[in-house]
Amino acid sequence: MARLMTWEGLLALLFLATFAGNVVLAPEFLTLQNQINLFQLSIEKIIVALVMTLIIINAEIDLSVASVMGLSACTFGYLVTGGFPAAGAIVVCLAVGLVAGMINALLIARAGIPSLVVTLAMLIGFRGFARVLVKDQSMGDFPLWVTHLGQDALLGPLPLSLVLFLVFLAGLGILLHRTGFGRQIVVIGTNAEVARFSGLNVARVKTVLFLMSGFIAALAGLLYAARLGSVRGDAGTGFELDIITMVLLGGVSIFGGKGSMTGVVLSILIILNLRNGMALTNITGHIQTGVIGVLLIASVLIPNLTNDLRVRRAKA
Amino acid sequence: MSVLDLRHVSKSFAATAALKDMDLSIEPGEIHAIVGENGAGKSTLIKIMTGVHQPDQGQIFVAGVAVTIRSTQEAQSHGIAAIYQEPMVFPDLDVAENIFISNRAQGAFMNWKQIYAQAADLIAQLGVTLDVHRAASGLTLAEQQTVEIARALSLNVKVLIMDEPTASLSAHEVARLLSIARALKAKGVAVIYISHRLDEIFQVADRVTVIRDGQHISTKPIAQVTPDGMVKDMVGRAIDTFAVKSAANPHGDSVLRLEGLGRSGVFSGITFDLSAGEVLCFAGLVGARRTDVALALFGISPATEGRILIDGQAVTITSPQQAMSHKIAYVSEDRRKMGLALSLPIFANISLASLGKLLGAFGLIDRKAEAAMAEGYRKQLAIKSPHVGVEVGKLSGGNQQKVMLAKWLETKPRILIFDEPTRGVDVGAKAEVHNIIRALAQEGVAVLVISSDLPEVMALADRVLVMREGRQAGILDIAEATQEKVIRLAAGSAHGQVAA
Repeated sequence: MARLMTWEGLLALLFLATFAGNVVLAPEFLTLQNQINLFQLSIEKIIVALVMTLIIINAEIDLSVASVMGLSACTFGYLVTGGFPAAGAIVVCLAVGLVAGMINALLIARAGIPSLVVTLAMLIGFRGFARVLVKDQSMGDFPLWVTHLGQDALLGPLPLSLVLFLVFLAGLGILLHRTGFGRQIVVIGTNAEVARFSGLNVARVKTVLFLMSGFIAALAGLLYAARLGSVRGDAGTGFELDIITMVLLGGVSIFGGKGSMTGVVLSILIILNLRNGMALTNITGHIQTGVIGVLLIASVLIPNLTNDLRVRRAKA
Repeated sequence: MSVLDLRHVSKSFAATAALKDMDLSIEPGEIHAIVGENGAGKSTLIKIMTGVHQPDQGQIFVAGVAVTIRSTQEAQSHGIAAIYQEPMVFPDLDVAENIFISNRAQGAFMNWKQIYAQAADLIAQLGVTLDVHRAASGLTLAEQQTVEIARALSLNVKVLIMDEPTASLSAHEVARLLSIARALKAKGVAVIYISHRLDEIFQVADRVTVIRDGQHISTKPIAQVTPDGMVKDMVGRAIDTFAVKSAANPHGDSVLRLEGLGRSGVFSGITFDLSAGEVLCFAGLVGARRTDVALALFGISPATEGRILIDGQAVTITSPQQAMSHKIAYVSEDRRKMGLALSLPIFANISLASLGKLLGAFGLIDRKAEAAMAEGYRKQLAIKSPHVGVEVGKLSGGNQQKVMLAKWLETKPRILIFDEPTRGVDVGAKAEVHNIIRALAQEGVAVLVISSDLPEVMALADRVLVMREGRQAGILDIAEATQEKVIRLAAGSAHGQVAA
């Protein structure tokens, strides 16, 4: 019983409810193809959400991820259209992601500017770069192997992006909950001053996190380009909000120090199932977005309300 | 008739009695000094007078009428106000706006001409010059205090409490503040002057009240007081409440040597040798910059002058990591801000400063070893908790202190710095912490203890280094040190009578 009363327990119940609802309402829901589609449509966001989890637990935020995705995708389109070999272009794009992450890291971890400000500026800056690169065009004509990797099954029924998601999920989950580095992320997120007075290298941990974020966002941008087969300057615009929603609904505290990978995965499953279920029953995208918004508000309200109740009961 | 009277006032926090049956009577137009050691109950007394706390027992009278003071606003309406070491001004407003910030008797619209004229008049009444159009952000600390005093005056203050007002002021500014106090006195305002600096008290006070352990000890006209008598009243408690430490301390080679260590504008000229197995206590008043020396040694705010030698080798320490590589540990004074991650379990806090030892392949934490290590400390230090998975924030102050101590013991330090190791812990836990510190010294750790608790210093130290205003006022061997000598060095009275 106590187990179910945790945030993860509530999320698990909510997931089962949406899943059951979908099964009942939409007969085609349980097909393997629909299950894979359900992930595939948001795969870039959910990959980036995994790194965002670490960053928010560290009491920082990275608003620039969607712009880094866009910049990476556009760089790829620009290079390939210009005759650059696609394999080389992939390496360049990943490097662009690392550079973007390094710029964020230097300004946040070394210069000490709040990440909210830095990454908001970079959200605008990197997006501007992307638009300058591709202007108003749509750039496509990628080599077949690229679109094949982006769209078709690679491992059994699973496409590359889903394989990557599962690998990152396991890797980052272990990193966060089982390694010394993960412990440092949590402690710094709880109280950076305590971490500093305990001899932890706070700047280094933050630098690594923003490098990871830049790299994975760039990778997600490539997956996005490969899946759609073409890119435009507005690729991925606004994704950062969906990504942060997934993390916060997963029970990660916006103030840092608290959160688990399990919670975030459950939150991702809930959001995907809700959207998919509503799409299958012909509910429009606007309403879908509204429902997710209500869910997010509830996710922040419910723990606060239960806390209040507990305090009041303790007083009485 | 007295303007303010406290009769039989008592106040307890949890099990600790902060004030016991306190009597205090303030006359109009007098400067009344209140002195006492750190922790004697001065702050609680101020908070009772200004309505921050309410007394458990006893009664407050204002001009002979019994009153209840439930907030600082109510205190103000009775004519009682306080200024502190750190003044509170709004940096973006100018002097006049700050003075009249809480004065709503201006009607719906501001009559700016009148406000500036009145502000200038209030400042003039204090006998100082200050342009009322200047922005508060550009004022010195002393000028900000002047603004606060003028603000109190605008609210018809009858009793103005000054709490350590000169702790951060220069000599020239101190003189100016004392003249302001005299100007208030001339206007019939009673000033309650709280200070550790005995020479100021002899310069300005009419009467002196000594409090100790929450109790009223004496109130005398200044003419009947000698500095020695006052100090005796302040420390008068029996010192044998602490067990006397074992006489034989193993004095080995010098482990740590500071040569003229300093940080520009903060402290300077700190020089001492510390041997293995020795306990050196840093004594001094609040604001003597003792913690800053510790922070320099630990690399948080590095020294800018002088040398640090470890085992005779000069070293540079510019980060906690470097300090820790020299086996220096710093048990900070503020557990909540600097010491412990309160929302994390005991084991994660204990392993925090030595995580590297617990890492296996791929940087994975050996969780069994971590739990076993934490469990060992739980038993060794008698940390009261069912298991080591409990959140540290749920432990009592004394047990939190032990967790923080365990964190640093696990780094196997050779030089261990304690900053106020028993602040805010109960008497029982205090004795335990003292025993642990002594045991560590016996094992050959070189120990530095910063403490404002003089009996604690006397009980723990082999030698006492006294600091005053960022400088080393002297080092006393424990054999020659008395509480009186330490206080005299710490207060550093320029007053002829104080120097024995």
